[in-house]
Amino acid sequence: MLTANHIHELSRYRDLILRLAWSDFKLRYKSSALGFFWSLLEPLLMLLVLYVVFSNLMRIQVEHYQLFLLLGIILWNFWDRGTSMSIWGIVGKPSLVQKVYFPRDILVVSTCITALMMTALEFVVFILFMVIFRVMPGWTVAYFPVLFIFEFLTILGFSLALSALNVYFRDVQFIWRLIVQVGFFATPVIYPITIFPENIRWIVMLNPMALIITMMRDCTLYRVPPGPMSLAYVAISTLVVLLLGYLIFDHLEPKFAEAI
Amino acid sequence: MAVQVEHLWKTFQIPHERRTTLFENLAGMMKPRRYETYTALKDVSFAVDEGECVGIIGDNGSGKSTLLKIIANILRPTRGKVSVEGKMTPFLELGVGFQPDLTVKENVGVYATVMGLSRKMIKERTDNIIDFAGLQKFEDTKLKNLSSGMQVRLAFSTAIQTDPDILLVDEVLAVGDREFQQKCFEVFNRYRREGVTILFVSHDLGAVRRFCSKTLMLKSGKQVEFGDTNEVIDKYVYKLNETKYDERNNSEQIAPQEKKTRWGNKKMEITDVKFINKYGNESNNFMFGDPITVRIFYKSNAEVSNPVFGIVFYHQDTYCYGTTTEFKGYNTGVIRGSGHVDFVVERLQLMGEKFDVTVAVASSDYATSYDWHDRFYSFNIHNPTRDLGLFSLDCSWSGSKDA
Repeated sequence: MLTANHIHELSRYRDLILRLAWSDFKLRYKSSALGFFWSLLEPLLMLLVLYVVFSNLMRIQVEHYQLFLLLGIILWNFWDRGTSMSIWGIVGKPSLVQKVYFPRDILVVSTCITALMMTALEFVVFILFMVIFRVMPGWTVAYFPVLFIFEFLTILGFSLALSALNVYFRDVQFIWRLIVQVGFFATPVIYPITIFPENIRWIVMLNPMALIITMMRDCTLYRVPPGPMSLAYVAISTLVVLLLGYLIFDHLEPKFAEAI
Repeated sequence: MAVQVEHLWKTFQIPHERRTTLFENLAGMMKPRRYETYTALKDVSFAVDEGECVGIIGDNGSGKSTLLKIIANILRPTRGKVSVEGKMTPFLELGVGFQPDLTVKENVGVYATVMGLSRKMIKERTDNIIDFAGLQKFEDTKLKNLSSGMQVRLAFSTAIQTDPDILLVDEVLAVGDREFQQKCFEVFNRYRREGVTILFVSHDLGAVRRFCSKTLMLKSGKQVEFGDTNEVIDKYVYKLNETKYDERNNSEQIAPQEKKTRWGNKKMEITDVKFINKYGNESNNFMFGDPITVRIFYKSNAEVSNPVFGIVFYHQDTYCYGTTTEFKGYNTGVIRGSGHVDFVVERLQLMGEKFDVTVAVASSDYATSYDWHDRFYSFNIHNPTRDLGLFSLDCSWSGSKDA
């Protein structure tokens, strides 16, 4: 469970968490000629396609739409990638589950950190774009790391539940793909929340990812600080997701080695 | 107390149909799930003191590995309690988490971290580890390009860098050639001298005898014996805890061979052959160096004068040793009815794993075979020494240096 004790234990294992995350990260690019550039190319290509389609054909009117879109894609990718990779966090490493023991959430935490490393690379592209389009963030960008931590912990919460469930029900991965795909369009990634009529916006914003992405864009690109209510909602939803994730994980963890 | 196990039970539930997808689970909700329950450990209790080396023996499926995995916290007990004091390192498999696509150096880093070495120690020791494995030239080669032998060497030299308080070892020594095993033993000796508590699962009774002061013996999940290694191994080999040797089983083994390998005119018949151990019990398992008596039961269908009994030991197809009552100057006299003769060995000097035995009875001039049981019987030898081959000679070494 997520107790002070457990967090202390995890900190004792930080070497292992980072070593696993780093080796996974390296493995991903090991045999490709372009290496790390792939992770830069992917969001750029996606940006290009979506930009052409949405700014010209659909005529979405948003200030700095390229940056709006790129930041949305990167933040959404982080969530998509973090959770999708974590589904395999336990099942994909049978020998680390069956032949040695360390707190098993380490496997999930380290997978999420691998996703974080990949996202960090994409942010290099984003900063480059900020410079090219001459957009200077204001002081409100100070909220960015806070919101980013909330996103990371939300991802971790989902990942814990998914990785544990996938040990017993292998179709979790397919169901999750579906949810992620629907989520991409249900979340204001490519469009602003303002396309919805005022009275139903709150429904869309119940989705914590919608709120996080919108707030992060506001504070980075438009110098708008997050509202206290929104911030409180995201903080609470993050905590709930994380606790639920741990609850499910801890409930299923004892039989991992037998069921894997 | 380094390790304490109290009334440990472990039950596995093996579903008849394994439902691994959500759909199968939903579809199967109406039907009750049918489980096969399998109890791997039944009420096991023992305690290991700090610095002790304890062997765990038993036949396949007796729960040895399950026990080790529960102590390692990999599996959780169904009932009972395990308490462990100190830093524990399991050697259940070498090279846990090895990634074929990472280089030798990177793999050492990952594996050493998994085994609980700190970053600083890894930094200091990586070169040593790679040197010890003899892979200096391959430092930056991907692991998948190494031979499996090299990989095992790398894993081993990494694993032995850990300094645990408690070491759990499961048959790791079974892999690798003799030289490698030798290296393993040296390392375990080092650990033992350093006062590391060791729990050692093995089929190699010789190794258990050499390393472990105490031994735990399991039989289908039950704790049969826990105590002094020599006593426990004796009991294991001679199956002292078991009820009388199963006669039915014995005759079943013989029946299918009967047509092929039995001949003679049946003037005299050999009715049974028993191997008797130093405790006077019948057994098929013997310890090298212990006494053995082969008791041959016979029945005579007519009056026979001074028949000759013979015995031959085979190791696979090798004729190892043969003798007869006549060679040894034993006169069987006139025989009517039934009785037995004993072939007595004071010190069994055979070392191969399994020996087949031919027993025969013939007329005093060897002209007529009465009853010949060709390689009907067999027994197993457990060799606690490290000598090699089929036979042992009574021998020793000595020497002197010139000048």
